[in-house]
Amino acid sequence: MAALVRALRAGHGAGRALRVLPRVLAPHCDQKCMFHGAVLRLQDESKCDKAASATASATHHVHHDFQQAPPEDAVSEQTSDEGHRPSSSFQEQSGEQDEEYETEEQLQARILIAALQFVPVHGWSMEAIAAGAESLGLSSASTGMFTGAGDLVLHFIAHCNSQLIQILAEQQKQVQLGQAEPKKTADFLKDAVETRLRMYAPYIDTWPQAMSLLLLPQNIPEGLKLLSSLVDDIWYYAGDRSTDMNWYTKRAALTGIYNTTELVMVQDSSPDFQETWDFLHNRIQDVVNMASTAKQVQSTGEAVVQGLVGAAVTLKNLTGINQRR
Amino acid sequence: MQQATHAGLAAFAPLTIRQFLKLTVPPLVVSSRCHSVIPPPRDSDEKEMLDRMLRVDHAGEYGANRIYAGQMSVLRRSQSGPLIQEMWNQEKKHLERFNEILAENRVRPTALLPLWNIAGFVLGASTALLGKEGAMACTVAVEESITEHYNSQIRALMEKDPERYTELLQVIKEFRDDEMEHHDTGLEHDAETIPGYWLLKTAIQLGCKVAISVSQRI
Repeated sequence: MAALVRALRAGHGAGRALRVLPRVLAPHCDQKCMFHGAVLRLQDESKCDKAASATASATHHVHHDFQQAPPEDAVSEQTSDEGHRPSSSFQEQSGEQDEEYETEEQLQARILIAALQFVPVHGWSMEAIAAGAESLGLSSASTGMFTGAGDLVLHFIAHCNSQLIQILAEQQKQVQLGQAEPKKTADFLKDAVETRLRMYAPYIDTWPQAMSLLLLPQNIPEGLKLLSSLVDDIWYYAGDRSTDMNWYTKRAALTGIYNTTELVMVQDSSPDFQETWDFLHNRIQDVVNMASTAKQVQSTGEAVVQGLVGAAVTLKNLTGINQRR
Repeated sequence: MQQATHAGLAAFAPLTIRQFLKLTVPPLVVSSRCHSVIPPPRDSDEKEMLDRMLRVDHAGEYGANRIYAGQMSVLRRSQSGPLIQEMWNQEKKHLERFNEILAENRVRPTALLPLWNIAGFVLGASTALLGKEGAMACTVAVEESITEHYNSQIRALMEKDPERYTELLQVIKEFRDDEMEHHDTGLEHDAETIPGYWLLKTAIQLGCKVAISVSQRI
């Protein structure tokens, strides 16, 4: 909480791109949100408490981290626990005790977030990551930490997923408090997918490149995992509590809808992607119709079977078979 | 206590006098686990372990349900019909409980459910065609497998942290006791008199072992 307050106060002072990150910690928030919280706190400490000297020392410290690969993890893992405690490491004006240790993952997260602003210029590539690192005052050689531009895409997707979860959790809370009406499933799915895809709007020109990066063999497992957890979360918040094959069919249907809508979006040139949302609406209607048709088929089948059994019994009665008892 | 919580949540709903009076009484310390059987997992390893256990338990109860359904389809009008129906009802309750737990904890059910559906029904129906003793032998074999499986789960949880998993242990113990009762009932009703009892029992138990190990992951 203290981190939030300080971040908010600092936010007024410095308008950096990082401030657009949502900072409300949601129950389903994953580790990345914690990193962002810690990242922002570290950012604030370096900015608010001590000006250039701290940044320089942080940079120096971070560089120091790079040069010492083996012991770094042990040290930074240990101190990352300290880093997560909100205000206990808040040093006032006594300068030198920089408790700005951060783990490698936190640093990677910071660089990747900063790299996003360079994506429209450099595309989803190592150049964007290098530019991001430089914008944080780090050497562009820090791209060595990343195996490829796929890392940037995957991190962005994970970030969008956690944002969506926050929004859905907030909506659920509103419904529980009685402040909002619960939506019908089809509408809920449509809104959830639309909200999620709109997060791609600023990067839509370069998104085909991102999608092709996701198809590289080394990125496929992680990409699939993110997609399946996204679809699972959307259905969970839509109220799905099934424990039979419906669990699988629902998620498969939504995965199909999401993927095809994403593809339509990247080649959509209509204002505000109106064609995409129409397409989405139609696909969801298709699935809903298919589900109701399946139910109708099933009940028709049951009625037909009952009719046949009735006819068989009648026949048995007529021919007198039933009386031989 | 529950109403106080509800009133707190629905802050905009008008409070009746009764609710208001309940509110003024200081609330007892409500255990954070009073409704859920599973504690919130601390890390992904624990979540995976719990997921596997619940998935296979759910699959087991589902299969047992289908076995009894198969047996009933053949022996419905025989003398042992009511007995099998009673055991089936208990299994239905177990399955319902596991459905609740899975839904609450967002556990993926096993993808092999259609397979267990058919296999269970066929097993129940085919052993029932051997007569009442066949059905009882099948019951004995299956319940013995399930009891052993629950026992190993109880052991695993007790080894890890009995305090943390008290509710889950309670549920599993209760179900294990029910299954043991079914097993004893089967023995009482001449399960062992069927010719080839040992062969049948071993074959069924082998199938159960395979089903249990496969349902944990798939």
